[in-house]
Amino acid sequence: MKRLADAVFETVYWSLVTLFIAFSVIPVVVAVVLSFDARSYVGPFPPTQFSLRWYDRFLADSYYHDGLVTSLLLATGATAIATVIGALAAIGLHHARFKGKGLIQAALLSPLVIPNVVLGFGVLVFASRLGILDGMTRLLMGHVLITFPYVMRTTAASLVGIRASYHEAALSLGAGPWGALWQVTLPLARTGIIAGAVFGFVTSFDDVGVSLFLTDAFTFTLPVAILAQMRANLDLTIAALSVMFIVATVLIIVLLDRLAGLDAITGRGVYGR
Amino acid sequence: MAMRRPALSAALLWPALVVMAPLLLGPLVLLAHESLKPFVGGRVGGDESGALTLQNYAQIADPQYVRYFLDTFRVGLLATALALVLGFPVAHFIARRAGPVMRRLLVGGLVGTLFLSIIVRVYAIAMTFGPHGPLADFSRIFGVTASSPDGAELMVVLGLLNSTLPLVALTLIGTLQNINPRLEDAAMSLGAPRWKTFFQVTVAMSLPGILSAAIIAYAFCISNLVVPMLVGRGFIVFVSNLIYFRFSEVANFPSGAALSMVMMVISVALFYGLLHLVRSHWQEAGK
Repeated sequence: MKRLADAVFETVYWSLVTLFIAFSVIPVVVAVVLSFDARSYVGPFPPTQFSLRWYDRFLADSYYHDGLVTSLLLATGATAIATVIGALAAIGLHHARFKGKGLIQAALLSPLVIPNVVLGFGVLVFASRLGILDGMTRLLMGHVLITFPYVMRTTAASLVGIRASYHEAALSLGAGPWGALWQVTLPLARTGIIAGAVFGFVTSFDDVGVSLFLTDAFTFTLPVAILAQMRANLDLTIAALSVMFIVATVLIIVLLDRLAGLDAITGRGVYGR
Repeated sequence: MAMRRPALSAALLWPALVVMAPLLLGPLVLLAHESLKPFVGGRVGGDESGALTLQNYAQIADPQYVRYFLDTFRVGLLATALALVLGFPVAHFIARRAGPVMRRLLVGGLVGTLFLSIIVRVYAIAMTFGPHGPLADFSRIFGVTASSPDGAELMVVLGLLNSTLPLVALTLIGTLQNINPRLEDAAMSLGAPRWKTFFQVTVAMSLPGILSAAIIAYAFCISNLVVPMLVGRGFIVFVSNLIYFRFSEVANFPSGAALSMVMMVISVALFYGLLHLVRSHWQEAGK
């Protein structure tokens, strides 16, 4: 009886694990295969002849190219600002002992919880009240807002493991408070800051909800450009684009693993293996 | 020495406050104000001179509007539940059974799925489960035709599921790593079958983590814009989509602002309220 029940359990367990992996992998494979489809229309799967026509079309399209440049500039700018102020804020809050600390922390992390559409709409109204009509400035405002919490959260998480005594030892050995920050706390928090910056960059680069409100006719991000094209006609240029995205994502994962270690995301756990 | 620490830590906080306070408060205050303005057709933004009104909020209580909220919450709940059922075994496998290479590969895959553009993922799902896709017959398992409203709902659930799975699995790996594996060994060496150990020890002890993962996934689902926009085909419209329509199609800013305020309050209350409840319950039980 025990054997039978355990056999059923194991079967269900492995089915669910397999289903999870299949559901995550199959669509990606389908998109990759379709990107090489030689047909000029979206036909039954699998394609019978292959070509690079969708890549040619994507590369020749200045609309996507402009979107890509804007997205890269925007994600870099927003991440740079968010990383500096977010890492410093996390360290400041880590050492701070004052009333209302929890409230400030929750408020600074709140863009993670507030729907992006609400943030985008709000920044649009705010920017027009301030007389800011330039697309890039508006986008930067919105993107700093959504990338900041990621940097602050991961930096704060990496600080939890650092004992306050290191900081105090540096102070008692004659380091000034800035010296202790620069030479002790920042290097120890490095992996958290890097992981946060990578998360922030990806969040900014992929964002749709905020950007849709803040783009203008001349400044639009890559995801907004793709959305506009997708609603116009669902051809396979987007499959070719998807492959570019997949390649870029793999590169980012390898980079993240090298710089901070993938364990920075899941943690090693108390009973670490 | 100890006296100087508060001064420095406060100084470190200032740059963030100077940048973030206006970016957070400015939009929220202006949205709140906008939501109280009467709407005048044909102009962008509410009537500046008119008296403030609650009519934009009263409109939301209309059954026709409530439907959008109910759809959002229902479809989000469905996707969250499925994400937990599929995500827990995978997290368990990675945290307990996988070797170092397999673990690295799977965690890398999960982070990759999390990082891959949501548009790309939804597009890939539309291509896979769509009319010409290799898994076009999948919806038939549920007795649903792909072109029906239920078919659209199924696609939205699949789209949300694809996004929430890595989120749930990664959160649960963290939870499972902090549960002592010896408790499971002890249960089994005392004669408990594997399935019973799994449910009565592992799942039971992960409950706070499971609930936290559910809250994170649910918050993600109900604020989603892209998935219903791309595969909802107008049958499934989330509140986020409605807010976007108010901005892009009809330029009814006051109504969009009122919807935004309601959605924000619900999201924040759900997230912090539920999280607080979970934490305080388990802290008490743990003592």
